[in-house]
Amino acid sequence: MLSLSGISKSFPGVRALSEVSLDVRSGEIHALVGENGAGKSTLTRTIAGVHQPDEGTIRFDGRDIRWTSPGDAKKAGIHVIYQEFVLFPHLSVAENIYIGHERKTRFGLIDHKKAAADARELLARFGLDLDPKAMVSDLSVADQQMVEIAKALVHDVKLLILDEPTAVISGPEVDVLFKRLRALRDAGVAIIYISHRLEEIFALCDRVSVLKDGRYIGTRPVAEVDRNELISMMVGRSLVELFPPRRTLAADRPTVLEVSDLSVPGRVRNASMVLRAGEITGLAGMVGAGRSELAFAIFGALKKSGGSVFLDGKDISKTTPAEAIAAGIGLVTEDRKGQGLAMLLDIAANITASTLPTVTRYGLIDRNQENSIAEAEIANYRVACRGPSTGVLQMSGGNQQKVILARWARTSSRVLILDEPTRGVDVGAKTEIYRIIHELADSGIAVLMISSELPEIVGLSDRVYVMREGEIVGALETDEINEQAVIALATHQLAA
Amino acid sequence: MAVAKAEDGLNRSAARKSFGMGEIVKRYGIYLFLVLAILVTTAISPAFVSGSNITNMLMQLAPLAVVVIGQTFVILVRGLDLSVASVMATAAVIATSFSGQDGAALTVLFASIAMGAATGLANGLLVTKRNVSPFLATLATMIVLQGFRFAATQGAPSGNVPPIFRLLGSGKFYGVPYNLMVMLVMAAIFAVLLHKAAFGRRVFITGGNPVTARLVGISADRVIIACYMICGGLAALAGLLLSGFVGVVDNFVGRGFELDSIVAAVMGGVALSGGRGTIPGALAGAAILVVLSNAVVMIGMPVQLQIIVKGVVIIVAASLYVRTAR
Repeated sequence: MLSLSGISKSFPGVRALSEVSLDVRSGEIHALVGENGAGKSTLTRTIAGVHQPDEGTIRFDGRDIRWTSPGDAKKAGIHVIYQEFVLFPHLSVAENIYIGHERKTRFGLIDHKKAAADARELLARFGLDLDPKAMVSDLSVADQQMVEIAKALVHDVKLLILDEPTAVISGPEVDVLFKRLRALRDAGVAIIYISHRLEEIFALCDRVSVLKDGRYIGTRPVAEVDRNELISMMVGRSLVELFPPRRTLAADRPTVLEVSDLSVPGRVRNASMVLRAGEITGLAGMVGAGRSELAFAIFGALKKSGGSVFLDGKDISKTTPAEAIAAGIGLVTEDRKGQGLAMLLDIAANITASTLPTVTRYGLIDRNQENSIAEAEIANYRVACRGPSTGVLQMSGGNQQKVILARWARTSSRVLILDEPTRGVDVGAKTEIYRIIHELADSGIAVLMISSELPEIVGLSDRVYVMREGEIVGALETDEINEQAVIALATHQLAA
Repeated sequence: MAVAKAEDGLNRSAARKSFGMGEIVKRYGIYLFLVLAILVTTAISPAFVSGSNITNMLMQLAPLAVVVIGQTFVILVRGLDLSVASVMATAAVIATSFSGQDGAALTVLFASIAMGAATGLANGLLVTKRNVSPFLATLATMIVLQGFRFAATQGAPSGNVPPIFRLLGSGKFYGVPYNLMVMLVMAAIFAVLLHKAAFGRRVFITGGNPVTARLVGISADRVIIACYMICGGLAALAGLLLSGFVGVVDNFVGRGFELDSIVAAVMGGVALSGGRGTIPGALAGAAILVVLSNAVVMIGMPVQLQIIVKGVVIIVAASLYVRTAR
């Protein structure tokens, strides 16, 4: 279906792709993996006509082609579902599906009836269970993703590219997505599936191709490759263990934070938990189960309707984020760009953002002190950058995450809450972040780690709480922690 | 992998160098534009750079620049302040409302700045606590202040501006206008506050992303309110300088300054989306506006054409800047 040979693409100063060759067959789900910066996005954009290759040829559907615009690729049947949806929240499902190809009446006005009918037919044909008249803003994220896919199906789609489709959904929603993708594959559509989550590749894909530093490393049938081989292809070295060895816990682990009966209207109901010094407590559950809201409420960034929070026996139920920080609590949010980083500022300013008074003398910022703090943290966290005054905007996800961790590690003398700490981070940076989390816990901090990645929860946690629909539905101690037990609690299935 | 990262770093610095020209235009474009405007006008009309004309321009610049400094703070936190001209006029009315002697000068100064800061407080509270859009909030306070002025002056202000304000507004010290000195002192104080102080860092974090600000323990609301208060206070000061410059006070001293100050700041690289901009850049923007107004007169254009040319040049400057800033 698609055959790339010798594709190279350079941007000023950076060679993004170097002689990449790749074959994708119709009726297969082809995984594309590689660390951040390996060239997956550039390759995707080249296939989709956003970039033109400097060298090499693209054969699609039996013809040599050279896109001059994304429109060309679309006409030929290539569609990309990006991580960020291109949907209009205040329009209906049908209106979104036919955006740009509106069904019109004789008078040139939009024919809403025909659009709804056509959309219903289209959705039914691909087994997508959605009401065409529903407002997109009322849909769950997973359903919005279905609308994105339906938009592609309007055209005669021959190649569908999905960029990290499961970054925003979890649990059963992922299963549903996989079912739909398999159905599309069986209908003869070629699918390129980009993901950081290796489990998904083994569960879904037929073949997998690896990119590293803009080069094509190889393609393997998924059935003939194992996790370790794939990782070593991606990082160029063998990562026998993704997770650091389990820590030996100190015998004395006093309770640091105690949450009892905490509620957030519509989000969290009567949640109680205990965090102990030196422990990594996992908080598992599906996206939307109320985990982030619970974290925000503890940190004082979200209004509680009831319950209390005690830090070292002191009532901090009515804390503000500023007071929580002063008391030694840190929160690494899930949304790095929207909530975590000051995107327009440099590394140094981002690291000291929550501890400004410590670098302030007579109201003025001591830039020298700030820089030397930043330099020390850059070395400690192995942040790849030009120096403290590098803007965070241009850094990779993994390095941005390290900057945020450095910031919060400086304020969190008692409790550090991590919400999806490795989201959108490549494998190499992941192991480093795990090492950092271990070190922080070893220093006596109580760590609460929210994660949708089960291997992460199982591989790192000393204890695990599981949330479902706003409630904490279970707690697992060290020897009870395994993926089956967590899934059973998170989805209310009986453990097998 | 470490090697790859290092190479990556080298590549990036190479990219930086090859983009040197673009980088220079991006960072210094506004200053280059200012110099260019001066050179072109001088070439056409050499009288432009005569001593008296330069002094004249600097005296015009001072009140506008003081307003622009305040406007910059507000725009940095994603706002804009349309009430500045009304605050200026109200300050001018306050200046004439006391004895008109120098003995009243301090009272006038404090009353004016208190009025400006109070207006800023109202703007800030509306924007943060009531979620009113900055456009509407400051438009409303502008109108309310105007009403107060009309009520207090019964239509036309009478009375005199204390002589010391006349001196500060239009006098010179060895050829250097006093109002320029006031402006430079303000620019220095507020540039330090914005670019060196912890408060300024909070302004940039809040303007870049209010959610991030809250989560790192910054009271975004307080920062935003403070910015509006700074803007109001500086507008009041500018109003006093301008009333001392023109000598006569009516109900509309400072007319047009609200839009001029926003245009100057944006031309000077202060992003309307917040979180990006500098005091020196905004001042250069103000200087361009003044140079332009003066240049079209010096070149001898008919007044209608002057306005059109001014508008076109602003469009060109602003769009050039936006292009390089991407």
